Amino acid sequence: MLSTETIFLLYLSSGFTIGFGHCIGMCGPIVVSVSLNLKEKNILAPQLLYHLGRIITYAILGGVVAAAGSLTMITANIDAIQKGVMIFTGALIMLMGLAMAGWIPLGKTFGNHSSPGSVISKGFGKLLKVQTTLVYLPLGLLLGLLPCGPVYTALLGAARAGMDAGSTHHGVLTGMGLMAAFGFGTVPALFLVAKLADLDWLKSRAVIYKVGAVLMIIVGVLFVAKAIRY
Amino acid sequence: MKPLIIPFSAVILTAFLLAVPGRIAAGDKYQEMINCNLHQSACTQNLAESTITLTVAPRPVKAMQDLLFQVTLSGKLPSNTKLPYIDLGMPGMNMGPNRVQLKPAGIATYEGRGVIVRCPSGRRTWQATVTIPDVGQTEFIFDVIY
Repeated sequence: MLSTETIFLLYLSSGFTIGFGHCIGMCGPIVVSVSLNLKEKNILAPQLLYHLGRIITYAILGGVVAAAGSLTMITANIDAIQKGVMIFTGALIMLMGLAMAGWIPLGKTFGNHSSPGSVISKGFGKLLKVQTTLVYLPLGLLLGLLPCGPVYTALLGAARAGMDAGSTHHGVLTGMGLMAAFGFGTVPALFLVAKLADLDWLKSRAVIYKVGAVLMIIVGVLFVAKAIRY
Repeated sequence: MKPLIIPFSAVILTAFLLAVPGRIAAGDKYQEMINCNLHQSACTQNLAESTITLTVAPRPVKAMQDLLFQVTLSGKLPSNTKLPYIDLGMPGMNMGPNRVQLKPAGIATYEGRGVIVRCPSGRRTWQATVTIPDVGQTEFIFDVIY
């Protein structure tokens, strides 16, 4: 029997390796879209908020499956929600692509706004900046519900931990902690991908945005198509 | 700057478009690896001087449902008392550690419950790696219904 600390470490390292081996391919387009959409702005806060949201959702799911002691019982009930989230994600990536190319005016929603000169305008601009940065937290919370094989696998372990725990309370906390550790482990890989898309030499070229926007629209369409088949 | 736009865009788009059939071809490659039809019957593989039979119920084998995995050994049985186990995964894709611990369920028969998770990529080829401690391991590669 493994100790609790060892299991937490296993989840953390599992998240780390899966991040580089799986998440980059499957969820990379999302973080790259977020990164490209921010253009010249600092990606650190939005990315961290996005990942924090994702980790919170994973932790909640971990607590729920641990309390239920079953993954299949829970996923059967959130199947339609996950499909909806997948369609929403595809549509969002498409919208980000269209906005980035300047084909639709959605700049203010995702932080691509300008700060006018007056004090009031500057203050409003700062407030808007905070609000637009905070958008990435609920985005992460929602996108944490995206159907994902390794997340399901991690949830299986959380459900087992819930069954093995002495009490429901302990089981829920363990399930939440394990999934948070897993989510935390996936952050470095996804952050690295986002950072690569944030390189100055890449950002300074308008053409990259146009090409990136077209690719984002294609990826968005593929996401929606996958969601419909899911 | 302008002269660079067209070739650069062309390279990026070509790479992306080439990646799509590449992914489809990869899917086909894994389908070719299938060595077992668990929807229809049990599957058997030889390992050292033993024969390992894997059965999964209920049939057909669907993802995201509770499944009963049964492993039966025949031939020369291992002398140790360590229990066999099954690792579920996808060929060529890291889906995280998903181990089915087996318990004795009769003479040289072991059972355990597990779940094959669903991959949104749409790939349905899964593998069950059965490990018999101190003897070795063998792989059953099969199709799963989503």
